[in-house]
Amino acid sequence: MSAGEGGRAPAPPGALGTLRALAELRWLLLLRRLRRPGGVPEVVARVALYVVAVPAGLAFAALTGIGTYQAVRAGRGLQATVPIAALFFGVWQTWTVVSLSISERDALDLRRFLVYPISPAQAFGHGLAASVAGDPFAAFWCLLLAGAFGGAAVARPGAWLALLAVVLAAFVVATVALVALLQELLARLLRGRRAREILVAAVYVGVGVLLAWTAGHPGALLRMLRGARALRWLAYPAALAEAGAGELYAGRVLAALPWAAALVLAGGATAWAAYRLALASARAGAGGAPRAAATGRGGWPLPGRLGALVEKEAKYVLRHPVATLLALILPPFAAIVAWKIPPRLPAGSGEVVRALPVLGFALYAHMAAQIFWLNAFGWERGGGRVWFLVPVAPAEVLVAKNLAAYGLSAALFAAAAAAAIAVGGPLPGWALLAAVALHAGIAPWLLAAGNFVSVLNPRAAASTVQRGGSLSPLSSLAGMVIVSCAAGAFAVPVVFAVRRDAPWLLVLGWTALGLAGAIAYRLALPAAARLLARRREPLLDAIAGDED
Amino acid sequence: MTTLAIETEGLTRLFDGRAAVEGLALAVPEGAFYGFLGPNGAGKSTTIKMLTGLLAPTSGRARVLGTDLAVDPLSVKGRVGVVPDGLALFERLSGAEQLRIHGQLYGLERREAGRRADELLGALELADDAGKLVSEYSHGMRKKLALGCALIHGPRLLFLDEPFEGIDAVAVSGIRRLLQDLVARRALTIFLTSHVLEVVERIVTHVGIIREGRLAAQGTLAEVRGALTLEEVFIRTVGDERGEVRGLSWLGEGA
Repeated sequence: MSAGEGGRAPAPPGALGTLRALAELRWLLLLRRLRRPGGVPEVVARVALYVVAVPAGLAFAALTGIGTYQAVRAGRGLQATVPIAALFFGVWQTWTVVSLSISERDALDLRRFLVYPISPAQAFGHGLAASVAGDPFAAFWCLLLAGAFGGAAVARPGAWLALLAVVLAAFVVATVALVALLQELLARLLRGRRAREILVAAVYVGVGVLLAWTAGHPGALLRMLRGARALRWLAYPAALAEAGAGELYAGRVLAALPWAAALVLAGGATAWAAYRLALASARAGAGGAPRAAATGRGGWPLPGRLGALVEKEAKYVLRHPVATLLALILPPFAAIVAWKIPPRLPAGSGEVVRALPVLGFALYAHMAAQIFWLNAFGWERGGGRVWFLVPVAPAEVLVAKNLAAYGLSAALFAAAAAAAIAVGGPLPGWALLAAVALHAGIAPWLLAAGNFVSVLNPRAAASTVQRGGSLSPLSSLAGMVIVSCAAGAFAVPVVFAVRRDAPWLLVLGWTALGLAGAIAYRLALPAAARLLARRREPLLDAIAGDED
Repeated sequence: MTTLAIETEGLTRLFDGRAAVEGLALAVPEGAFYGFLGPNGAGKSTTIKMLTGLLAPTSGRARVLGTDLAVDPLSVKGRVGVVPDGLALFERLSGAEQLRIHGQLYGLERREAGRRADELLGALELADDAGKLVSEYSHGMRKKLALGCALIHGPRLLFLDEPFEGIDAVAVSGIRRLLQDLVARRALTIFLTSHVLEVVERIVTHVGIIREGRLAAQGTLAEVRGALTLEEVFIRTVGDERGEVRGLSWLGEGA
């Protein structure tokens, strides 16, 4: 090699070269994960998620296909508009909720790419594509949309299908872009502790004022909520796609063009805004963290080592933006459920059935907080070493983590139940007791099982709602199994209570199951603690990077 | 007879069948400032991790402050302080919270832990940043805070893994003076690993040199050093056979 050639800098990579380098990087990272302890179960879990998602997606695709076939044949009227709205708003809503809570978003983190001679826009675009291609849930929703397209094609073959395909593809792109934008916005909003506290307080004070104002005006709240229909345009991917598809199903291709164009433009603008925010965040670094106690005085008046442990864990949970996000989202969600569901229940359904939507929040609050009990060590980083350096028993560490996760879940449940009662009216006394028994009774089962998952499959996670990835696919799958088994066991008293229309059976059954859970938790705790002590090396390897 | 703060017999740790530390026989007298030296990958951090409970030894025994680590680890942990490699700090707590909660985890009352935390924040020059989350601290500030966490409960033995790595000369000087003062007042025994030999030579009373997982030399500084400097002894002990430095083919040739 000549000296001149040797000193020359390489030419910047072309688009294809960049794509190849990024694909290779992701492939190497996947291989590295596979070679680590627990790598094979991770891959098996990911494949299992696809194995569940794809057949389920195909089954539901058949349903959306039939619905769309009938909608296209009908052309207009309720038979056309209801399936269209259900498809787009259903897919948009679940896609957004799941993406904001559990999906992996590592691919969109621009910080790691800034050092390379790669266009950040390209890296972000590839990240968006990867977030769809590598997500089993996205595969499920895309299958639903493909089913709808198939139904439309069978109902009325023709060139109009090309425009429908554009609308569906633009809907997917716009949904993914809007999720990315929401993540960036939420991360910015929730970064400052004061801003988070003010936001949560504003929501709760606002709801309180609203309820006080509507107390003397029966029906005012419902009229207001109906008037809020205009807000649907905020969910523009679904609203624009619904409008465009509605025109296409009715055979008005020209009328559909402006909606399709608006959807494409809005999706592009959203992706651009998300990219600019992501780039600004990456360039700004990690700054903006909240300030906290500045002196050694104060602290929570809790006794002993366990008190200090609980204080630390509770502060970690409360300072996680997901806790704020849940506190903001769950009560309004409960209010909507309490407003929408009861009127749709059959008139003859019993007391138990009428209370089920509110009771469901007792379980949902645990599911919402699951990252804290399925990956309890995920946010510790180097701090995880403390558990093995200081004179605390591993069982105390687990109990403190469980108490903090349970505290969050209980607060969320209380807020959700209060909102549901405020909108839907007071619940009978037995229903309140049953809800408390369900929430408290199912907790020890979930927490006891969650401790083993946290110790056996820890994963370093970021304290952000962006690029969630707080749970590995294996832990997600384990969480699904744990929640399904516990919910199945707690459903048994429901069957008896509904059959006999005897609500007190719920209170009795759930209290008994809860007591059994408390015993199971006590029995399982020493085993989980021994496991924690025994597996300290792989745990620290995973969360603190202690690799030898 | 000298009382030993640390005493190990045949301490061994294997990783995938390969020995990171093998047959280690340490003898650290109480009140000593013990410098544990060795090249990268020699087994220094693995040794500290075994002595502090982060790693389980594959075989061998370790007695720390007269207690067998395998028999009563909690009793040992309550009497030692540790600044491990990579530190052990909760990033989502403020510096003040970190120190106080650390103190409480070692069994101090909340009020006493808070008082000591404030005193440490002042002594470590962190008082102005006490309300910041640790995730916002610089590397040097984290090192100081980790040292504070290791000292808050008044340990009898302090383990420091590379305390001077990655921090500026002013911070090195401050930490060095604090540690020297603690040993001079016979407040505790210090076991430290470091690559900064000129600093180590100025502060330690005892030295151990580890090479490829085995103890190559041990004793007082005077015994180990003899008539040479510590750096000369170190290079001679760990081997100074280095090949000629080869230039990189694409850099510098065309200049």
